[in-house]
Amino acid sequence: MTFAERMLRIDRRIIFLLIGLSTLLPLLYPVGLAIKISPEVRGVHGYIESLPEGSVFLLSLDFDPASKPELYPQAVALLRHAFEKNLRVIGMTLWLPGTGMADQVITQVARERGKVNGKDYVFLGWSPGGSSVIINMGQDLYKAFPSDYYNQPTKELAALNGVRSLRDVNYVVSLAAGTTGIETWYVFGKDKYKFELGGGCTGVIAPGLYPLLRSGQINGLIGGLRGAAEYEVLIGQKGRAVAGMDAQSATHFAIIALVILCNVFYLFIRTSRGQTGQRS
Amino acid sequence: MIFLRRQLPLLITFVTGLLFATQYYVPHPASERMLTEVTKWLQIIGGFALVLGVTSLFHLHAVKIRRKEPGWGYSFVLYAVMLGTIAVGLWVNGKETVNGTATAFGWIYSNVMVPLQGTMFAILAFFIASAAYRSFRARSREAAVLLLAAVVVMMGRVPLGEYLVPLSGDITQWILNVLNASVRRAIYIGVSLGAVALSLKIIFGIERAYLGGGKE
Amino acid sequence: MPFEALLGAWVATGLTLFIFTFLYKDNPLFKLAEHLYVGVSVGYTIVKAYDTVVIRLIYEPMVVQGDWSLLIPLGIGTLMLARYAPKAAWMSRIAFAFIVGVGSGLAIPRVISSYILKQVEDTIRPLVSMAQGGALAFSTNILDPASNLNAVVLLVGVVSVLFYFFFSIEHTGPVRVAARTGIVFLMIAFGAAFGYTVMARMSLLIGRLTDLIEYADPGYGRPSLWLLLATITTLVVWSLRRRDEHPPEG
Repeated sequence: MTFAERMLRIDRRIIFLLIGLSTLLPLLYPVGLAIKISPEVRGVHGYIESLPEGSVFLLSLDFDPASKPELYPQAVALLRHAFEKNLRVIGMTLWLPGTGMADQVITQVARERGKVNGKDYVFLGWSPGGSSVIINMGQDLYKAFPSDYYNQPTKELAALNGVRSLRDVNYVVSLAAGTTGIETWYVFGKDKYKFELGGGCTGVIAPGLYPLLRSGQINGLIGGLRGAAEYEVLIGQKGRAVAGMDAQSATHFAIIALVILCNVFYLFIRTSRGQTGQRS
Repeated sequence: MIFLRRQLPLLITFVTGLLFATQYYVPHPASERMLTEVTKWLQIIGGFALVLGVTSLFHLHAVKIRRKEPGWGYSFVLYAVMLGTIAVGLWVNGKETVNGTATAFGWIYSNVMVPLQGTMFAILAFFIASAAYRSFRARSREAAVLLLAAVVVMMGRVPLGEYLVPLSGDITQWILNVLNASVRRAIYIGVSLGAVALSLKIIFGIERAYLGGGKE
Repeated sequence: MPFEALLGAWVATGLTLFIFTFLYKDNPLFKLAEHLYVGVSVGYTIVKAYDTVVIRLIYEPMVVQGDWSLLIPLGIGTLMLARYAPKAAWMSRIAFAFIVGVGSGLAIPRVISSYILKQVEDTIRPLVSMAQGGALAFSTNILDPASNLNAVVLLVGVVSVLFYFFFSIEHTGPVRVAARTGIVFLMIAFGAAFGYTVMARMSLLIGRLTDLIEYADPGYGRPSLWLLLATITTLVVWSLRRRDEHPPEG
């Protein structure tokens, strides 16, 4: 077995160790490289910035704990921005396992900004049905959610004054880890009820949403932890996402190095096999 | 009886399918009221679908425990933890927080479920790195193009990449906004045409797999 | 620090490390954590379904507010459960027929409008623009997604990829050229998808390690460090015992 072949068959736990260290070390010793803002993230930020005080902002946290590191920082940054702009916030989720996190993030950021449940914001919780929940909210919000997460009748909540359906919502942002998510909000919501829609998503599904971004079906997209970091920079409140960017850089470069090494060894093997073939 | 078992389901699909496809183009108040009512029903029916989803899991582990198959102890732990979570959850009326304070159910969610599910997916980071090292090879011209695009995007989406090669960020934006968007758009169009065709086949009773097998 | 926060930190850290032990090899600590995860997730799902569906969507609107029309979805839902009674299993077909019928009906016009018409509309853009004074202009700035050059590239990409997936005609002559171009576009998109997948997976790891670093704080009693030590010790003991029980051959 040649050196290149041996190298390609090294114990995978060595690679695990390399990845572990390239994540851990930058988290312990951050460098703080500058983060460039993309037009996609600016799209969401700019629209919230343009909304007048008292506008209705609906944040649908359509993810589960598996995507928490990417989407929770996005939710924190968006909620901070919305509360700072004194928007009326409606929180909800279409993903059952995400209910606890959605409740936690809204309660936590609202408390941090001195906002009152029922008056400045509401949390509707989770409801089954995905697309049918969106249509039902578009038809009649109070039919879809007769009570909020805390079992208070939604019709009596001051934060929902003047809001009958999704048509009365000024901006919807879905933070999605898959379907049901941003596309569902467009197809079953915006297409008919004509509210403005933005999105935040995990890195895995982000490339698939660019056609909707180009066609203006969504007016902005916050992609993964990087997107969250950009949003944190835009609102001037650096948090967990910005803190993770150095580690993100290091791990990406570790993977690039692994890919290059793999190809160098592969080239060696191919060349040596070719030479052996010629000799025989 | 055959009508109830075979024709009635097909008739229901045909009528409801056509009704709700045409409803989109008829914004009459009566039609809108029907949409409101039926989507409300679907929300409730969606809850029943959840029950169907978890029962197969119950059965699987119950059999393991009953037959004392290898690893039945883990199945026992699964059952005990599940029943414990249900008991605690019902005790606090299914709420994770009350007046901003976490309940015992919320504690289980935040300190058991969230870290477990989060870590379960986090370990994929190690496996994707290992897979990249072992099999991400430029075996052909097409594979080389894929590899190059991946490397550019990986560089262009992190601060260090943009710092070392400032152009990588712009190229990444172009790849995503134009080249990637065109492919995804073609896939969207193709998949949507397929989905519409399948929906029509279901409505007209050509596709019946959703009715399952079993006794007629 | 409140006791529940302290206990939470220790439990969350321990379970996180148990899952990470899979990187060494499959072992009882991982299996225990895996089954705990499934148990808690199912328990959580059942409780949330009960609270939301039974209490908030059925009991309150029906019994408290008197909306008895909800008996209809309740009936349809119950029919779904007939699947578990072999003699009555056929009745569940009625429920599935209703769900699939309504679902298909709702989807058809919305999918056509959102995915087909809107996407085609944005693809067929003017390939040249009208400059001031009525002269034709062709912008070549590739960094501007709305430039004419990018409109052409996008159109070529969409059409060639559609050609690639068009299997009803043989890929020869000009069709072959189009399909080959489609492959190049596809490869670039797959590369971008891989890059983004790497980004996503690494972010998840960053999230978990950030928590472990936070729990290494003396305020929590440094659970990350102590439990790491305990986990490694357990793994070593387990490996040694396994080696004694199943000595390597030769």
